[in-house]
Amino acid sequence: MSADRQGAVVPYALAALGLALLAWGSSWGLFAAPGETYMGDVQRIMYVHVPTAWNAMLALTFAFGCALVSLFKGGWRWDARLEAGMEVGVVLSTLLCMQGAIWAKPTWGVWWDWDPRLTTTAVLVFAFAGILVLRRFVDDPVKRAVWSAVATIIAYVDVPIVYFSVRWWNSLHQVQSSPETVSKAFHWPLRINAFGILFLMSGLIGLRTRLAVLRLESELAPPLPPPAAVAPASTRGDR
Amino acid sequence: MTPTGVIEGGWGFVVAAYVVSAVVLFGYAVSVHVRYRAERKRSQRP
Amino acid sequence: MLLAALRKDFLLQWRTRAQVLAILIFGATSLLLFSFAIGPNALALRQHAAGFLWLALLLSSTLSLAESFQAEMEQRALEGLLLLPASARALYYGKALANWGQLAFLGLALVPVMIVLYDAGTTNIGALVGIILLGTAGLSAPGTLYAAMTSQARARQTLLPLLLFPLVVPVLLASAKATSLIILGDPMGQVRSWSLLLVCFDLIYWSLCGLLFGRVVED
Repeated sequence: MSADRQGAVVPYALAALGLALLAWGSSWGLFAAPGETYMGDVQRIMYVHVPTAWNAMLALTFAFGCALVSLFKGGWRWDARLEAGMEVGVVLSTLLCMQGAIWAKPTWGVWWDWDPRLTTTAVLVFAFAGILVLRRFVDDPVKRAVWSAVATIIAYVDVPIVYFSVRWWNSLHQVQSSPETVSKAFHWPLRINAFGILFLMSGLIGLRTRLAVLRLESELAPPLPPPAAVAPASTRGDR
Repeated sequence: MTPTGVIEGGWGFVVAAYVVSAVVLFGYAVSVHVRYRAERKRSQRP
Repeated sequence: MLLAALRKDFLLQWRTRAQVLAILIFGATSLLLFSFAIGPNALALRQHAAGFLWLALLLSSTLSLAESFQAEMEQRALEGLLLLPASARALYYGKALANWGQLAFLGLALVPVMIVLYDAGTTNIGALVGIILLGTAGLSAPGTLYAAMTSQARARQTLLPLLLFPLVVPVLLASAKATSLIILGDPMGQVRSWSLLLVCFDLIYWSLCGLLFGRVVED
């Protein structure tokens, strides 16, 4: 699809812009910004951790929106966007868990401190990765679209419930300060990185959607075999 | 920098966090790009 | 319509009660294996008894839920049942209620096993029964929906737990915590709050899954 090639410029541009912003914000946060009072230099992880958190939730919320539209309005593009948003969301959430563990080790001495937000994120990773697996095991595209949408809605509604139950469950054992308190001096690297990941993510979702659309198209309307009168020796070798 | 007194020597972890983030983000971006190109090539074959 | 569906499902369960017995034995065996993982430490066993009970119940639920749509799949009865309008919802609630009954039965039957193996008895039977009812309801609602879905897909045995387990984390947390408090003592009266969480989860998912079920089984 030649039209597709032109359309793909936007996601690539967005992604490139995102990467540039990330490089800028990260170098600012790493080298120029002052260290924090109690956490020292470990605080600098926040410049990449907090933006990842915002965008992971954004990606999954986007997937949830696409699920609603896909289920109630229909349309293959919405299913493609759902798949893209979910995959990017899962990647970002997994990254979030890794960053959280790397932050927790020097701070609390353990790799995992059962922080409610991070624990909820881990549950989310499994829930949405499961839906991605579901998509692989359903051959009928219509069923796949409907079931993914239903599963996404069910899983997303669960997010606040999981968060509250884990927060409560955890509060009985330990009281921790959250890593969220960032003072005024640190806002700029954070904002720049936030937009960096936002643009990168948007570009990736756009590109991934196009990939999903291409796959759907080949699934729904496989190319016709060449007519028998022309070059009988040529075989359909593309599948 | 004057010593903060609570958490020292966290630079290793900071570097690790940024490297992991870069690897994941960049790696995923490359993966999407490669898959996209492959699918385009497949769909354009007659 | 709902009563008819309910009657059908309970009749189905009664006729296949040998399978329920097998699942019960599976649950009891799981409880035994969990105790081996901990070792003969009476105090540790007693502290973890509630968690293991609910884990065993969760694992057993995958077997129980998976076979709940087995009959429909084998006889291809699903399409026939759905010919009538508004029957998808009746089908769902009939199945979900029947599954709930079966899971609650399993849960209650596993309690004596837990009491014996883990020395985890309680005099507060009423609260224990209540938590088991609320928790198994939480497992049954999404479990029935996902069982309907995965019974039509490939790799169904892996897909059902894969989809269900992350979803029911709140149910597991709340039920295990509440049961643990009932067994070990509840000085701050937290069981009520955990029950409230379970009630909320049940209300939300019994309605949401009922609404969405029609889309899952339509052709």
